[in-house]
Amino acid sequence: MPTVKLVKLSKSYGDIKAADNLDLEVKDGEYLCVLGPTGAGKTTLLRMISGLLAPDKGKIFFNGKDYTGKEIEERKAALLSQTYALFPQLTVEENILFGLDIRGADERTKEQVLISMLDLVRLSGRSDAFPRELSGGMQQRTALARALASGADLLLLDEPLRALDARLRISLRTELRSLAKTLNMTAIHVTHDQDEALVMADRVAVIRDGRILQIGTPKEVWDEPATPFVANFVGQSNFFTGEVLQSSPLTLLRTPEGTVLKGRPSDLPQGTSAVLGVKIGNTELTKERKGYLKARVERIIFEGRNLHVDMVMDSGQRISSKVPSWRKGKIVAGDMVEIYWEESKGTVFPMPPSGLENELKVE
Amino acid sequence: MFFLFFVILPTIYILSYAITDWGAIEQHVLDDPAMLDLILNAISASFQIAGIVTVIDILAGLPMAWILVRKEFRGKRFLDTLIDMPLAVPTAALGFSSAIFFAVTPESLAAPSFALNAVTSPYLLIILLHVVFSYPYMVRSLSAILVQIDQTYETAGRTLGASALSAARTITLPLFRAGLVTGIILCFARSLSETGGTMIALATMANPGNFATGPTLIGDWKHDLDSNPDLAAPLAFVSILLIILSLLLLVVLKIVIMKVHLPMGRIWPRPERLFSRGWFPKTKDGLAVLFLVVFVLLPSFFIFTYVASATPVSFDYGPFMDSLFYSFVIAAVVTVIDISLGVPLALYIAKNRKGKLPEVLDVLVNVPLIVPTAALGYSLGVFWTGQNIIPTFDALLIILAHVAFTYPLVVRNVAGAVEEVDPSYEETARTLGAKPVQAFRRVLFPMIKGSILAGAIMAFTRSLGETGATQAVVASAVTAPVYIVKLIKSEAFYTAGLACIVLIIVSYVAMLALRYVTNGRRSR
Repeated sequence: MPTVKLVKLSKSYGDIKAADNLDLEVKDGEYLCVLGPTGAGKTTLLRMISGLLAPDKGKIFFNGKDYTGKEIEERKAALLSQTYALFPQLTVEENILFGLDIRGADERTKEQVLISMLDLVRLSGRSDAFPRELSGGMQQRTALARALASGADLLLLDEPLRALDARLRISLRTELRSLAKTLNMTAIHVTHDQDEALVMADRVAVIRDGRILQIGTPKEVWDEPATPFVANFVGQSNFFTGEVLQSSPLTLLRTPEGTVLKGRPSDLPQGTSAVLGVKIGNTELTKERKGYLKARVERIIFEGRNLHVDMVMDSGQRISSKVPSWRKGKIVAGDMVEIYWEESKGTVFPMPPSGLENELKVE
Repeated sequence: MFFLFFVILPTIYILSYAITDWGAIEQHVLDDPAMLDLILNAISASFQIAGIVTVIDILAGLPMAWILVRKEFRGKRFLDTLIDMPLAVPTAALGFSSAIFFAVTPESLAAPSFALNAVTSPYLLIILLHVVFSYPYMVRSLSAILVQIDQTYETAGRTLGASALSAARTITLPLFRAGLVTGIILCFARSLSETGGTMIALATMANPGNFATGPTLIGDWKHDLDSNPDLAAPLAFVSILLIILSLLLLVVLKIVIMKVHLPMGRIWPRPERLFSRGWFPKTKDGLAVLFLVVFVLLPSFFIFTYVASATPVSFDYGPFMDSLFYSFVIAAVVTVIDISLGVPLALYIAKNRKGKLPEVLDVLVNVPLIVPTAALGYSLGVFWTGQNIIPTFDALLIILAHVAFTYPLVVRNVAGAVEEVDPSYEETARTLGAKPVQAFRRVLFPMIKGSILAGAIMAFTRSLGETGATQAVVASAVTAPVYIVKLIKSEAFYTAGLACIVLIIVSYVAMLALRYVTNGRRSR
């Protein structure tokens, strides 16, 4: 149940900065998801918090106390790794009781914890099984029970659902979250899966190149992305560049072709070049009314619930949209369509210093 | 520290003799053409034999490794055990057994009439003998690597239209290098340093002439050193030559195998397709099995038929049992030392792969493996008797010598195993609250226990069967293999045969016992 605070944490491997002056604060009992692409420094972050890796610079505080140099085993921060690392020579029971055994707990405590843990993760019948005899989901739950039973109050989860198949992954999301909540633990969950982060987290921290770009509730991160990268990584976006004409009550942006686009108010001065981002799910297309832009439908991909529509504008720029499936047949490849969006769904960003293309790159 | 001071330093100590006593070498060796001739002949014979043996091992070992890893058939486990069996037989017994089987033997030995009784050249006999005991090493190293090579590469090659042979040759074989290097080094080093078996085989056959290999020279001369102190210089000279040449060879081999690219890329689709089907693969497999039986298994265990068919002679078990007990105690002490000091070093090497020092240590660990044990033993003896730090009991010297060449076996085995274990096990244990010692004992140790025991078995059997180093360090020592050498030299062939069998049985039982312990714990 501790609060965790990271102050100006830095770690580099040669030229690569896995953590770059990283600041992060996790509240008591919070379920925080750290979301970022591969190589963004997610695992490094967890390893530094757990003590497996020493930061080059910066400090780590648990409950306001400096824990930067503490031994791993004194942090009470249990790490659940991607591969679970269940000890193959021990049974489910022995795995779960590992932490208590190490601390020399008495038999009665062990008995009680074991029963409640097996119950909690629904493995009561399998306590004598060896890890290799369990299914992926059971292994995952055993690893979780082991972490929970160890007496740790901070749970560090490194892509805990990665190795599971799609259906199980989705059902375990809610389960994992509610377990952590029941036991009132602080949890830091690292993932590259935006759906997972949005569904599970109290707050989402988007990380890239060893820096936290934005931290906020799933809704904030989704609706009010802080940078074009966040807008694109958390739900794909279409981007348009142009010059700011006014910034309130609505932001007006004029494209090089002279079209004026509308978005939410911003504090950008008039005349600066800027980027307007719209989630593809909020990019609407119609043949009935006049929109901001015209585009020709290139292809339509049926995704079940939605249709994914790829279009190309006269300028050559490509844009995409998601529309409900019932519109299948009403739009076909080759149609000319009008593009529009609700003004409140357009977010305006200053032009990134390295250019839009570099900003959006996911390496 | 222990490793450097007790293993590496004594091993190469003799090199300093070349500097301090160059005069003696000049006087007794370089200015004595007969002596020089003898030495050079012996050493060149050693290297030639080792080279030929290695080539034979590769040619015969490759198909066998393939059968063991890629084929599924009834009795596979049985075949698997069969290949390991010569490892359990001390080389002294092997030497006797093979010599009776292959060689033309003197009348007094009364070999069974169905022995081959064909080989008259000592050179050829030694090659055959060395193939017997180095073959399992080659098969083991090759199959260890083959298991790790993902068969999907080959399958992918096959689905892209390559015939079975083309795919194996162009895709899998090039991935083999690491295993090949290990196998070649092991076989070469084993053949180069073998003393006991060689001596016995030479003593057993009729008319060996004055044929000698480097290590047998050391063994013989060390024996005569007391009566003829002039031999000190030639002894040192042989040891130095052997050590330098073998180290040089290690370096050259590594470079050649890692750097030279064989022209593997070319494909001859039609002949290779032809060879991939029908009679050829079957013949190849058949030949591989036949080779194993005729050139490895039969010679290894021929001793049993010999003893069964020969006329019994009364045998005073007393002195032999004493020597056997002596050997056992030494092997046990050596194994304990190896484990308690080798495991920490292995952990250090495996866990700090990126550092400079562990890398250097990793290379140094190989040194005692490649240096012929007789040379190593002699060097060690000179080193320890020349100082006053520790008392020089015979047993202590022998133990130190045996530790020097068995220690690397344990370190290699354990370091290899530790590297295979995913570090996340130990890390997870730490985050669950385990202290480093607890994490090792509760998590890592149970995972590498098998390898530690495997290392212990190898160290134990190597120590038990070693002749060269024992003789070279203390000439008067009587361990079981040395005792057998003596028996044969005095033409007490039947008793020697019995002693060999006792030694085989005892070491086999020891091996089984250790293996039982390993498996018993693992299945828990």
